Amino acid sequence: MSTPSPQYLESKAEDPAGLGTDPIPAGPYFRPDYFELEREAVFKRSWLQIGHVCELPEPGTFIVRPLELAGASILITRGRDNVVRAFHNVCTHRGTRLVTDPAGKRSSFTCRYHAWTFGSDGALRGAPDFERFHVEAKDCGLVAVAIEQCAGLLFVNLDREPKESLRAFLGPLAAELETLPVAQATTFAEYVYEIEANWKLTYDNFQENYHLRFIHPRSGKAAGGADNPFGYPNRFGFHGPHRTQTIWTNPKPTIAPIQGFAFAKGFQFVAADGLAQGPHNRTYFALFPNFFLIGTPSQHFSHCVIPISASRSRGVIRLYWSGADRCASERFAREYAMATMLDIHSEDRAVIEAGQQGLASGALSHIHFQSQEVLCRHFFHSVDRAVQAYKAQRSAAGAAA
Amino acid sequence: MSATDTSLPPGFAALEPFVSAWAIAGANDRLRARLSSREADRVAFFDVAKDLLAPALGYLDKKPLAGLNDQDQRLLRLLLSMAHIALAVEIQGDDEPMHAEGARYLTITRAMSDL
Repeated sequence: MSTPSPQYLESKAEDPAGLGTDPIPAGPYFRPDYFELEREAVFKRSWLQIGHVCELPEPGTFIVRPLELAGASILITRGRDNVVRAFHNVCTHRGTRLVTDPAGKRSSFTCRYHAWTFGSDGALRGAPDFERFHVEAKDCGLVAVAIEQCAGLLFVNLDREPKESLRAFLGPLAAELETLPVAQATTFAEYVYEIEANWKLTYDNFQENYHLRFIHPRSGKAAGGADNPFGYPNRFGFHGPHRTQTIWTNPKPTIAPIQGFAFAKGFQFVAADGLAQGPHNRTYFALFPNFFLIGTPSQHFSHCVIPISASRSRGVIRLYWSGADRCASERFAREYAMATMLDIHSEDRAVIEAGQQGLASGALSHIHFQSQEVLCRHFFHSVDRAVQAYKAQRSAAGAAA
Repeated sequence: MSATDTSLPPGFAALEPFVSAWAIAGANDRLRARLSSREADRVAFFDVAKDLLAPALGYLDKKPLAGLNDQDQRLLRLLLSMAHIALAVEIQGDDEPMHAEGARYLTITRAMSDL
């Protein structure tokens, strides 16, 4: 190997997160009982990324998002007062799922069962023959879900009284996220996949570069170079339960002709919008529990790994853009950027499922992370800390009862 | 249409043989067409389209996207398929069949070109 270039500032620390170097127990990556604990300890009390404000561009617009992990469906509206609100998508009469359309624009929502009608502010506006009920309309509004935003990204919290605000939860990362193109995005492209694998095993794949040269020998060719054959990041950052990595820039990437043409076109439009040189455009954010966002302005994508069960997950990838396509060249560049990311993500799926099959056999009691897989280690510790705290809280409540 | 007619704007008749296979509306359908295509067909399209990509975009860029006529629209759809096919030919090469095996599990649910 040649002498490392100045661009590659390898993290030499043996234990950069200060979390030790021990093997990690395998059970949490496949056991249904551990997943049940995560459901309560993590997903029902954390801020979960669920959408973007550009999906609610004007008063009356709404989106509906399933949250299978909580058996819930969330209705998110922009009211006539321009306020974005979230509710359980459940009629307060007898619990019927209220809205079946995934998105749209309307000033009220009427339950198909008995025609109870709610405003976009959640208030019950009317119900046939309501005087025969033994309750007041003001007490029959939709059940609110906490929703807050950062950098245009919408997050919900299923805890009826979240223990901290979204900003407090994100800490210093909130201000960094606000500098990214996503904060100014007005639209996005999206692709999805389902996978027979635990959400943590799936998520881990996307926070270590150790696998790139083996799983992405062609599509990831530009990620590694002579100085840094694995394409390891320049540095890691740890912020409470969240983590970041600063992506290494290959000084001599191998770029094919059409690839170079498409990337140059894309960059030209991003630069014209003044989005090319953000202070965090080489940062890859991993927000607890299940969200990624990469700062790269010309392929500015988020990736949410949504648990469905202990061994099944859904990935939602979005490329955020500012403004509609201005011309054919921009349309081509954006299609190419999307297809490029899709190529890379599609190569990971099979090997993640193979990992799930191996772990679920119970053959291993532990798995191993090297120092360049420290984000995976930090992630496990962040989840397990929440799970152990929940278990302790539950035992204390049981002892007190 | 007679043999001398073209369904594409003037100057791009060389792409005519590829219109029926690759002038596809919808990004997810373009992806699916790539994943089910034969290597010889991908390479034939790529070899002709690679030299016409820049001039074709230059031609289309002179018009607003909302003002494209049917011929222009057909040309643009070919170029958008080229975005997918270039990745198969230029990046994946003979790995494409293996790559396509995994990519068939992904679905494009929203693309800028579909809005």
